[in-house]
Amino acid sequence: MQNLIFGVLGLIPGRNFYIKGRYFSKFCRIAVMVTAIEVCVLLAVSLALWQDSGFGGGWRLAVLVGSVTAAACGSCLGWGWYKLVREIKSIAGKFGDENIDVSYVSDLQEEKQTDNAVIVKLYEAIRNRFKGKNNYIADLENQIKDLQLNIRLLQKQRLKTESIIYSVRDAIIVIDEYDKLLIANESAGKLFNFDFKNCQQRSITELIDDSRNGFVEFLRRSRKTRARHTKYELEILKGDESKIFSCIASCIHDEKNNVCGVVAVLHDVTREKEVSRMKNDFVSHVSHELKTPLASITAYSEMLLEDEAGTEEMRKEFCTVIQSQAQRLNRLIEDILNVSRIESGLVKVEKKPISLAVLIKEQTRMLKSYAEEKNITIVENELIVYDQVYADKDMISQVIVNLLSNAIKYTPAGGTVKIEAEVDEISGLSRLSVTDTGVGIPEDDIDHVFDKFYRVDANKEKAKGTGLGLNLVKQIIEKVHNGRVFVRSKVGIGSTFGFELPLAKKEVVGEKM
Amino acid sequence: MSGKKVLVVDDEIHIIHVVAIKLRSNGFEVVTASNGAQAYELACSENPDLIVTDFQMPVMDGFELVRKLREKEQTKDIPVIMLTARSFSIEQEQKEQLNISDCLGKPFSPKELLKKIEDILYQKSIAN
Repeated sequence: MQNLIFGVLGLIPGRNFYIKGRYFSKFCRIAVMVTAIEVCVLLAVSLALWQDSGFGGGWRLAVLVGSVTAAACGSCLGWGWYKLVREIKSIAGKFGDENIDVSYVSDLQEEKQTDNAVIVKLYEAIRNRFKGKNNYIADLENQIKDLQLNIRLLQKQRLKTESIIYSVRDAIIVIDEYDKLLIANESAGKLFNFDFKNCQQRSITELIDDSRNGFVEFLRRSRKTRARHTKYELEILKGDESKIFSCIASCIHDEKNNVCGVVAVLHDVTREKEVSRMKNDFVSHVSHELKTPLASITAYSEMLLEDEAGTEEMRKEFCTVIQSQAQRLNRLIEDILNVSRIESGLVKVEKKPISLAVLIKEQTRMLKSYAEEKNITIVENELIVYDQVYADKDMISQVIVNLLSNAIKYTPAGGTVKIEAEVDEISGLSRLSVTDTGVGIPEDDIDHVFDKFYRVDANKEKAKGTGLGLNLVKQIIEKVHNGRVFVRSKVGIGSTFGFELPLAKKEVVGEKM
Repeated sequence: MSGKKVLVVDDEIHIIHVVAIKLRSNGFEVVTASNGAQAYELACSENPDLIVTDFQMPVMDGFELVRKLREKEQTKDIPVIMLTARSFSIEQEQKEQLNISDCLGKPFSPKELLKKIEDILYQKSIAN
């Protein structure tokens, strides 16, 4: 009985090692196994000794078995302690590491629930010891996370700002106080021929050849004067083409109000300059055009008043001249107004199905005398009468007159002007073209002939004009009728001007105007 | 002024016509041209006493015509009156350089033009 009690007592330390938690599970299995063997051995020996009733030998064996069991349990206990301390040390070590495994900490908290007071105490001691540090590290970790987030946000913002600057059509160049380039956009790179993405911190003088345009000198001057904005007009030669840029340099001030850089924005004003020049030419030209019929009217009316017309026939002739010149003046004014009205969208459009063939016949008849005066033959091809288009009759008549009179105007005596209309059923278009055997248009000018006020330099002297006729044609066909104008020309051979309009059945009712 | 020959140059047929009528009715002989090149040939062949020319003309403009006239011994002293419909007046310097006797802006009065022609020819006759 004592053996049993002793044996059971010997088991107690073994039970104590039964610790919940994955790190001790292997050890626990060993402890349970040892306890089971011990119980079996003790029971077998005790029973045998009891039955022998020899108390002396049995007692000694029982003591031996008890001692072996106790030793085994003790070594198990020692092994358990060793494992436990190692584990706790490793836990402590983990706390010192930057990469804290949160799940591991929660495992430990679970272990706190075990009935092993020692482990609980040790664990709590470690937790207390590293508690402050743990929070501090967590704080640091949070701060790092915040910083990383901020960095990412700033990077995003920077990329966004950069892409805004890069995508601006105007050229942008920013330099610091030492002439080093801070940022330049694609337009600037294209303009001055440098790789805009890999040129930061390079000297602006390395990137831009200042000998021709004085741009760098302008930037330095702006920085020196400290003026908020300075304007400069820059002429840059790109290939054979000269481009004019309006450049505004603005000083960048730091918190101490010192100039720490200059931002320059270069806006291409070549087109504006061209338009302004064209407008001036137009004003000069229009005034000339207006004054010419006016000169006739004034002169002939004065002659009438002075009784210089000796005969009735002469008086009639003078009156006719006055009348025709007044009409010419009116046409010119109408042209100017028409272009202006169409551009501003104020024109009244009355669209209905009309036949181009019929309009061609009408307008050709009107211009026949003008063509005959210049000894020019007008040829009409066999016209198709069913080419109905949905259009404003007066406007299309105006277009035909302009095309025909231009052809007659720029064709030398003896030449031919051919007018034809064709129907393209497949694409649903009606096409009208006027072909002359005139002076032709140089290649460089051909893209501009429909521009307002544009007159071909080479042909300027061959005939008078306002530079409005073809622009009016383009506006009427494209803006009012959703059609398309076209031109083909060869200098010395002749030109073909024309337009395409959708056939009436294909036209969708619901126009811009 | 009868018998004096005036060359009238303009690309506007009506202007030539009205000036010619005015001058002829006042005893002038009139020859006409519709551009500078034609006028230069006529100036050489007809030896006019005075030339009335438009400034802006096709083929050869008024300036070019006067420049060419001044280069040639035969025509260098012919007085020239320039008619112009330009929005700006001809510079005094250019006028002197090319020895243009007078400029008249369009619209003009035929009566005034006649008076100018008569004055210039009168002064020329005195000078001679």
